[in-house]
Amino acid sequence: MILPLADVPAPHIDYKGLSPLIALVGGTVLVLMAALLRGRFVQRSLLPLLTLGTLGAAMGLSIWVWSPGDHRPIVESALEVDALALSLSLVFYVAGIATVLLAHRSAALSDAGAGEYYTLLLSSVTGMVLLAEAANLITLFVGIELLSIPLYVLCASQVRRRASLEAGLKYLVIGSVGSATLLYGLALIYGAAGTTSFAGIDRALGDTVSLSDPLLLTGIALACAGLAFKASVAPFHQWTPDVYQGAPTPVTAFMAVATKAAAFAIFLRLFDSALLSAQFQWAPALAALATITIVVGNVGAIAQDSLKRMLAWSGVAQAGYILAGVVVGTQKGLEATVFYLLVYLLMNVAAFAVVIARERVSEWGDGMRALEGLGRAAPWLAWPMTIAMLALAGFPATAGFIGKFYLIDAAVDGDYAWLGVVIVAGSMISLVYYLRVVAVMWMGPMEVRLPSLPGRPRTAKPVGGWSPEADAWAQPEVTLVAVACAAATMFFGIWPNPLFDLVADVGTSLASLVG
Amino acid sequence: MTSTWGWLILLFPLVGTVVISLGYKVLPGRLAGWLGSAAILGAFVCAIGALLSIQDRTPEDRQVVSTLWTYASTAKVDVGMTILVDPLSVLMALVVSGVSFLIHVYSVSYMGGDRGYARYFAYLNFFVFSMLLLVMGGNLVLLIVGWAFVGAASYLLISFWYRRGTATYAGLKAFVINVVGDIGLVVAAFLLWSKTGALDWTGVFRGSHEAFHTNDGVIVAACLLLTVGAFAKSAQVPLHTWLPDAMEGPTPVSALIHAATMVTAGVYLIARTHPLYELAPTAADITAVLATFTFVYAATCAMAITDLKRIIAYSTISQIGYMVVGVALFGYANGLFHLMTHAFFKALLFMGAGSIIAAMAGEQNIDRMGGLRRAMPFTYVTFMVGSLALAGFPPFSGWLSKDSIVAFAFDRGGWYVAIGVAGYVAALLTAFYTFRVVFRVFSGEPVEEARLLERGELAHAAHRNPLTGEEEDTDVGFPGPEHHIAERELPMKFAMSLLAVLAFAGGTIGIPDVSDVLERFLEPTFADSAFQGVAPSDTAEWIGLAVGAATAAAGIGAAWLVYLRRPGLSLELARRFPRTHRFLERRWYFDELYDLTVVRPLQALAAFSRRAIERGIVQGLLVGGAGGLVRGGMTIARTIQNGYLRAYALLLLTGLAGLGLYFLLQSS
Amino acid sequence: MNVVWFLCLSAVLFCIGGAGVLIRRNPLVVLLCLELMLNAGNLALVAFSRMHGNGDGQIFALVVMVVAACEVVVGLGVIVGMYRNRIAEDVDAMSELRG
Repeated sequence: MILPLADVPAPHIDYKGLSPLIALVGGTVLVLMAALLRGRFVQRSLLPLLTLGTLGAAMGLSIWVWSPGDHRPIVESALEVDALALSLSLVFYVAGIATVLLAHRSAALSDAGAGEYYTLLLSSVTGMVLLAEAANLITLFVGIELLSIPLYVLCASQVRRRASLEAGLKYLVIGSVGSATLLYGLALIYGAAGTTSFAGIDRALGDTVSLSDPLLLTGIALACAGLAFKASVAPFHQWTPDVYQGAPTPVTAFMAVATKAAAFAIFLRLFDSALLSAQFQWAPALAALATITIVVGNVGAIAQDSLKRMLAWSGVAQAGYILAGVVVGTQKGLEATVFYLLVYLLMNVAAFAVVIARERVSEWGDGMRALEGLGRAAPWLAWPMTIAMLALAGFPATAGFIGKFYLIDAAVDGDYAWLGVVIVAGSMISLVYYLRVVAVMWMGPMEVRLPSLPGRPRTAKPVGGWSPEADAWAQPEVTLVAVACAAATMFFGIWPNPLFDLVADVGTSLASLVG
Repeated sequence: MTSTWGWLILLFPLVGTVVISLGYKVLPGRLAGWLGSAAILGAFVCAIGALLSIQDRTPEDRQVVSTLWTYASTAKVDVGMTILVDPLSVLMALVVSGVSFLIHVYSVSYMGGDRGYARYFAYLNFFVFSMLLLVMGGNLVLLIVGWAFVGAASYLLISFWYRRGTATYAGLKAFVINVVGDIGLVVAAFLLWSKTGALDWTGVFRGSHEAFHTNDGVIVAACLLLTVGAFAKSAQVPLHTWLPDAMEGPTPVSALIHAATMVTAGVYLIARTHPLYELAPTAADITAVLATFTFVYAATCAMAITDLKRIIAYSTISQIGYMVVGVALFGYANGLFHLMTHAFFKALLFMGAGSIIAAMAGEQNIDRMGGLRRAMPFTYVTFMVGSLALAGFPPFSGWLSKDSIVAFAFDRGGWYVAIGVAGYVAALLTAFYTFRVVFRVFSGEPVEEARLLERGELAHAAHRNPLTGEEEDTDVGFPGPEHHIAERELPMKFAMSLLAVLAFAGGTIGIPDVSDVLERFLEPTFADSAFQGVAPSDTAEWIGLAVGAATAAAGIGAAWLVYLRRPGLSLELARRFPRTHRFLERRWYFDELYDLTVVRPLQALAAFSRRAIERGIVQGLLVGGAGGLVRGGMTIARTIQNGYLRAYALLLLTGLAGLGLYFLLQSS
Repeated sequence: MNVVWFLCLSAVLFCIGGAGVLIRRNPLVVLLCLELMLNAGNLALVAFSRMHGNGDGQIFALVVMVVAACEVVVGLGVIVGMYRNRIAEDVDAMSELRG
């Protein structure tokens, strides 16, 4: 009994393709071990530096691995290292780096312990990379859980704050329902197709499995719901605003961009490659979900007073826009989705960075009023926020505009013109709440005009809420993140060609898609 | 190499804008002004570089297209960040950057006392960048972007003293009328794109030759829409009323934007799109007729009004009318020649006006001026040079350039001769009103301010709004408390003397028979024109020049007679023909006409809509409908979002059930 | 035995788990119900593995068990956090974030 097993040939492992993952896992262990050392230097400086180093190394290795047009599965078809996976990995790494910087002065860091915090962050990134590279159902599930479970903990990491705990519990319970649904769906798909590899499912769907097989269709429905949950697509979105608001803000920023990108990576892999033959079956359902999401997200965001909540609802709406790129199932749709995810990273991180900078010093926390008069008081924060809001709303000359244009174009090209119309209508509603933020920053009453007396200043600043820490450069790393992301948003809005080149490469990575 | 120069031309003002606007808090003293000037000087040097490198090429090879990057070539729109470097754009870039540089230098001193010093230069640099983008842009989209940007810069600078009610109103008026033009331009671009499938210049021109036959309905419509755009920007009748009001901005702004550069963008537009106009001669004729009416009309207005800056503004409208006639009759080099000389002498006149207004402590009414000649010798001499050029007196530059247009009209023959005759009539009026200003301001009994100045003091009075006479607070963003006149400020002197030389000698590049430099330089751009090489004979041109000189002399003489020889005559004339005088003074009642035909009906319509439509339809249906829908949806979304975890799970599972049901239905 | 019976059982387990999440308020019981849902998936996987005669489903099920254990650990951690903050053992008590 034992002997035949010993004959099992070891799978060939392509260590080069695996190197970013190895670096991440190694870094995770290293950070966890280093956290055992006591001392202010270790906890305050060494750990973040190690984390940044790990992410940087993984990023470097990803770029090293990258070879255009080349995509072959590694590790016995468990993982696929192609341009899609690598480009979205960059999103995860950048989001991770931004989170490390944003969390540098966070209260959650001391509550949870710096070592644990960074370790969890790194393992979540590992899960995302795994998910983006997943080439069979098992890696898909492992990846999605590896990214989620650390996030449950991170959400609850401010254990003494009730809101943080509540966010953690909600995310955990609803997330586990989502995971269980996804798992059941994957089980049914496996049952119908008889294999767990995406390539195998793709082959089986065209061949041995009927497209009206109830087993398969139920499986798709369940998997769709599970993934929609991760991507916060309505009506599986309800955890989003609560969790975003309750979680420590750097974690929120990380979830908003990285989780979303990871969820769409697997959406693309599962639906646009493994299940592409069944597009007629799933596309209308996804299109309907996208429409509901756009409406619900935009409507929900309108009257929010908490900036984090507003960004959460807007994130729901944005998920609807991005879903349009998946629905069409074309190469252009794939390109548009990845493009949007890349720019979504930039604009959202910029916005969250400003929220973080303000909530630490303002008595209004993450409320809208915390931004009042920011244009005068701290232009280095007000400008990034303005750019981020305009980009999210899709104003021309920002990367957000090009991203949205790309998505609409893909929708129209893929015979889903009405979805393009819905995107435009949604964007129009979204102006209400995005521009409100801009208006609060630039038009808010900042200086109180005093009656003019000779030899006295004519204006004075209101006392409450403004302190030396309110200055943008009191938290240089946060301002740096905000400014860098906003600058990149503008840069790619005016000169998008590098991103175009990148996504053109991504477009070829799913061989099943038509051009 | 040529294209590198082209990009550098754009880069310098852009960098200047960014640096000044980011560093406005830390730039000390007049550094912002000098930085801005240096940026424009850089652009000018690069324009010279472009000129030299383009002259090195063979004539067939002098249209250099350079694309920095392309935007998504999706949806069959192929638009890039493209510039076109050809003789036309190089000429425009030279004029724009050169004159802008001198006006920047002038402003360094002139705006010295203003609170918004750095803001002013940031705007001004931004304007120059936009204008250069407009003239260098290699496709319609960049043209429109530049077009909108200069409109925005103009709006910002007209309303520069934003606490002055009349200034913000004038800014709004300019903006609204310019938007009319922008719409025309955008619709024209759309028409052209839909028929030719291209947006870059060469593609549009090639495509339109294939898509249209001469006087095709679509091409005529497109050209008329282009004319609407050009007329709004260039203040031609009937879209001219914003320009006189735009004089609310600082005087150097009037010199730069509302005289020398931006308002001539319409002329550039027609010259650039000449292959289209040649396909639609009807549209070109309509354009020419309207422009002819404009130059006569504006000249008559300038005779009656008394505000120094507004007189020059009307003269600008009139002179641009000449240029538009020049290019619309397909004598492109003539129109552009006048554009160039006009930029010199009109900028000079405005600079002189600025100096005079400063000496008069903000007073702009020429009736209150007089005898400034001895007090301001430098301003007097330079202003005189500018006036002689404007009046078309030989051998000043305006004489040559204006008459080249008129002579070309005579040469076209037919009914175009009428345009030529009108050209001489308006030239007579021009000479008259120009010297009316000169004699009123510089001759006669010295006024109080002039005597003060002769004693070495500069008049200072409370700042008043020149239009309404209200007193203004210089602390909060009106022209600063100090005044600067050319006699005392070296930078102003430098700028004005250089322009005076140019206004005097700028015509030498277009002397018939002797030096047709400009015409030959521009040849590659207009090589495809059917009218290339068509020109009046040298004899005809010289006869025209002689008639022009006589006309100018007659006008100046008449002004001398009316204002110096018999000072009471003008008042007597005004008394004798009160209706005519009032008609001219109210500028043919154009503002009132618009008030009556456009503003009032719109207001009535608005009032009606407010009563009927808004209450009934908008509030009832749209706000109660769409808004109510959104509000209702909001309430629902927030009610469902009740915070209970189990409720969330319920919705999740309900959604799942719905999704499952849908998929199962597919299987049957 | 026909695979259908296994499937029916797993579907029933899934539904019981889902219903438990919906109606039970004690977080510990909610965690138990989540386990039930995941194990329903496991059962289905193993059943299909037998049906197809390949090992993929069984490996999948093993992985899921590990994952389920991790989730429970995190859940218990949160519940301990609730204890420490003297929050009632009631998921409905955690409803301050809303709107």
